[in-house]
Amino acid sequence: MNGKECDHEWEMTNVRNGYLVMEGCFGCGGRLSFFSEEPVPPQDDYREGDHFWSFRGSFQATKFDIRCTKCGHLVNLQDVNALMLCTNCDPDCPVSKAAKEGAEVACWAYVAICPDTTHDKGSCVSDEGIRRLNEYYNQRRSSGSLIKVLPCRMRKSVDQCHGIYLADIGLTELY
Amino acid sequence: MKVSEVAKKASLKAFNDCPDKEIQTVYISDMVSDIINTKEGSLLVTLQTHKNLVAAANLVDVSAVIFSRGKEPSTDVIELAEKAGIGLYGFDGDTWSLAKKLYEIGLR
Repeated sequence: MNGKECDHEWEMTNVRNGYLVMEGCFGCGGRLSFFSEEPVPPQDDYREGDHFWSFRGSFQATKFDIRCTKCGHLVNLQDVNALMLCTNCDPDCPVSKAAKEGAEVACWAYVAICPDTTHDKGSCVSDEGIRRLNEYYNQRRSSGSLIKVLPCRMRKSVDQCHGIYLADIGLTELY
Repeated sequence: MKVSEVAKKASLKAFNDCPDKEIQTVYISDMVSDIINTKEGSLLVTLQTHKNLVAAANLVDVSAVIFSRGKEPSTDVIELAEKAGIGLYGFDGDTWSLAKKLYEIGLR
């Protein structure tokens, strides 16, 4: 079946467990992240051109792709490192505004985080990835609210964002 | 089976007042990175009272969350869950005791 003609029904596939590793460059203030499937995530500092990348932290996380159960179309979400719930901390942030746009029902904005955190290379999560994630999370939702997945390039400020990452952050505070 | 029925039969403590939802299945996990694989309508059993858990539970559309071993969520966690329409419940016993009880009630 041609993917364009299919009324897709998405399922999660290629689920990988690993670590979301964050790095920062002291020189330019740039930030990036990557997903490591190694048992112990790398923490080495290294040079890359003018950058000197240093380890900033790592959290257990999950990566996945989505596939249509009808036509088999696979959406590779390699460029999505994590999802983050927008807490509407800044009403002027484009993410917060987009969450409220045209929503007749309660709408929850989740930001898809790409590896190029400060977008120094200009890349972000693909348009198809964003579109399909929205379809995936809303297709079987029964609670009456909507999920709106947005690309992280829309965030007003990486440093001032109070979003909640869907990773195992702070989970050692169990007892 | 509805969440309210399970709450009554298992003598759960309610931390908030949310819409009653149908339970499709039960999922037990303490890792947010694992919970994002959960199916919609799951009754989530966990020890974890962190805000991240509610953020993940909302995304995957759980029917409710039960904290075992007498764990109690903080006010901001309860508020976030209430906004999301997710019922939060507490159970004094351990997770295994709760799992047995849920099975006895009829959840599969």
